[in-house]
Amino acid sequence: MTSFLIGLFLATLITALFTMRLYRLILWYSLNSLSLALLAITIGFHIGDNSMIVSGFFTLLLKAIFIPYILKRISLRFSLSRQIEPNIPVYYSIMLIPALLVFTFYLAEPITNMLSSNANYVAISISSLFLSLLLMIEHKNIAPKIIGFLSIENSLFLLGTIATNGMPMLIELGIFFDLLMAIVVINLLFKQEEEVKE
Amino acid sequence: MIYLLILPAFIMLVLSFWSVQKSRFVLPLTSLLILFPAIKLFFLPKPYSIWGTYLVADDLSAYVMLVSSIVAIGVTLAMSTLGLHVEIKDRVYARFYRFFALFWIGLTLSIISNNMGIYWIGLETATLSTVYMIKTNSSLMARKEAWNYMIVGAIAISLILFGIILIYTSFKPLLGEEAMNFSALLKSAKEIKSPFLFEIGFSITTLGMFIKMGFFPMNLWLANIERASFYPVAALFSGVLESAVIIGFFRFSKIAQLVNPLHLFIFVFIYTILTIFIVSFLIYRSKDFMRLFSLSGVEHMALIALFWASGGVFAALLHFGAHAFLKPALFLSTGILESKGKYKIAGALRGYSGVKGKVFYFLTALFLLAIISVPPSPMFFSELYGFGAMVDIAKKHQHLLLMIGAIMLLLVFLSIIFYKFTEIYQSMKYEGVEQKRVVYGNEVLALVLFAFSLLALLTPWSFEFLRSIS
Repeated sequence: MTSFLIGLFLATLITALFTMRLYRLILWYSLNSLSLALLAITIGFHIGDNSMIVSGFFTLLLKAIFIPYILKRISLRFSLSRQIEPNIPVYYSIMLIPALLVFTFYLAEPITNMLSSNANYVAISISSLFLSLLLMIEHKNIAPKIIGFLSIENSLFLLGTIATNGMPMLIELGIFFDLLMAIVVINLLFKQEEEVKE
Repeated sequence: MIYLLILPAFIMLVLSFWSVQKSRFVLPLTSLLILFPAIKLFFLPKPYSIWGTYLVADDLSAYVMLVSSIVAIGVTLAMSTLGLHVEIKDRVYARFYRFFALFWIGLTLSIISNNMGIYWIGLETATLSTVYMIKTNSSLMARKEAWNYMIVGAIAISLILFGIILIYTSFKPLLGEEAMNFSALLKSAKEIKSPFLFEIGFSITTLGMFIKMGFFPMNLWLANIERASFYPVAALFSGVLESAVIIGFFRFSKIAQLVNPLHLFIFVFIYTILTIFIVSFLIYRSKDFMRLFSLSGVEHMALIALFWASGGVFAALLHFGAHAFLKPALFLSTGILESKGKYKIAGALRGYSGVKGKVFYFLTALFLLAIISVPPSPMFFSELYGFGAMVDIAKKHQHLLLMIGAIMLLLVFLSIIFYKFTEIYQSMKYEGVEQKRVVYGNEVLALVLFAFSLLALLTPWSFEFLRSIS
C-alpha cells in the first residue's frame, strides 16, 4: 500500500509537469496531496503513531480540499490565465524528467545507504523536490509557480514522513499554519494587483 | 516572558485594524514597547527557559534580540515620516504595521528558539510577512519584486527545512524527538552515528540561509528587492530579517563545528570568498545608494559567517552588531539623500541647514566612513579580530601561508569596496549642485539612536559581554 501511494504521489507530480491548463494543475496538486495524506494515515496506523494520523487528516483537509478550493476561487476572482504553457517543450520534458529521477537516485545514494528502512522512498521524496522546483522554473505564469511552491512543501512533508517516521506534532502544526499564511499573503498580493489595475 | 515579548506585536496587530487616522500616531509608540522585554531578557540569568525546552534564551539570543529591537524602533521612527518623502496611502501604512506585527512574532520565535522546527516556523512567518511589506510601494518594480521574493524566499526556506529534516534524521536514532533541540544536538554532536548525513543536512540548510542573505550565486535578488521597496522596509530587511537568518547559521554551525570543524571551515571559507569576490565588483558597478548599501550588506554578512566559522565568535558578533546598526541607518538616510526617489549621488551631502540638517549630514558622513571600517568604527576592530581568528585556525591546521594568501585576496576585494565608497563620499560632498533639503525630527532621532548604539558597542563592557558568548 505504501509503495502504491508513493508511486501515486510521484505520478501525480509528473503529470502536473505536463499540464497546460490551470484547473487541471490544481486538480493534480489536490490528488498529489490526497496520496500524501493517505500515505501519512497508512504509515501512522502501521507504526501506531497517532500524531502522524492526525497530521495525515490535516493534510487531507487542508492540502487536498481547502487549498485547491481557495486556489480555484483566487483564479476565478482575479481572472488568472487558464492557459499555462510551460517554457520547456513537452518533448524535452519527457527526456528531462526521467533523467532527473535517475540522477536523484544516484545523488541520494550516500544518504539512502545510511538509512536502515525506506531508503528508496527517501530518494523518491528528494526527486519530487527537484520535480517541484522544475514546475516552478518551467512556467512564466505566477499560478503554476505557486503550485510548484506548494508541491515543494508536499515533497518535504513526504521526506519528513518517510525518513524520520514523522516530525514532532508541534512542528507539523506550525508548518500547516505557515502554509495557511502563505495562502493569505498570495491572496493579498493578487488583491493589490487588482487594486493597482483599477 | 513569552507574553511580554509578543504582546507589543499583538497590540500593534489589533490597532492596525482600528481607524487609520487614530492609529497613525499610536502605532509607532506601540513599537517602542518591544524594547522593554528585550532589555529584561538581556539581564536575566542565562540560559533562561521561556517555554520548556522549545524557547530558551541564552546570551547569544538575548544580544540578537536587543540589537533587533533597537533597529526595529529606529525603523518605525523613520516610517512615521515616510509619507513626507514618498506617496503612501493611509490604508497601506496600517497594513505595513499589521505585517510588521506578524514579522515581529516570527522573528522573536526564531531568535529565542531552541528547536530547529520552531526556528524554521518563525523564519517562514517573518519571510511571508515581509513579502507584503515590499508591496507597500505600489510601483511596477515593487509588485514584480514581491513575487520574486515570494518565489526565491520559498526556495530558500524549503532548502532550510530540507536540511533540518536530514539533520533530524541523522540524530533521531540517538536522541528520539529531542533531536529537534539545538541544546540536545550540541551535547550529543560528538556521538553522532552518521556524520555524513548531518553534514549533507547542514550544507543544504546553510545553502538556504546563504541564498536568503544574497550570497553566491544569488547575489542580486536582495539588492533588487531592497531597491524596489520603500527605504524603511529595506532597512528592516537588512538590519532585522538577516539577524534571524544569521542566528540560525550560528546555531547550526556550532553543532557542525563539533562534528567536523575543518569541513565547516572549508565549506564556509570557499562560499564566502566567492561571494565577496562577486559582490566587490557588483559594488564597483552600482550606481545608486540602495544597491550600494544592499550589496555592501551582503559583503558584511559574508564576513560575519567567515569570522564565525573561523572560531572568531567575538569578531563575528561585533561585526554583526555594527552591521545591524549601520546598514539600517544608511538605508534610512537614503530617504533624504535620494530626493523624492530620484537618486543623484553628486551633491547628495550638500544643502543641509539648521540643527537637524547639520546633525543628519554629520551622522550620515560618519556612517558612510564607518561602514568601510575607518577607525574607530566597530567594523575596524571586528575585521582585525576576525582576520586574527583566521590566522589562528590556519596555524592549527598547518595552512598558514595559504591563509595569509587568502587574507591578502580578501583585502584586495575589500579595497575595491573601500575605493568605491570613498569615491561616492567625495562625489556626494564636493560635486553636483547644492539643493536645499528637508530633514525631519524623527529621522534625526532614528540616526542618533543608531549612533549611540554604535558607541555602546565600543565600550569595554560590550567587548567583555561579547567575549563571554562562546
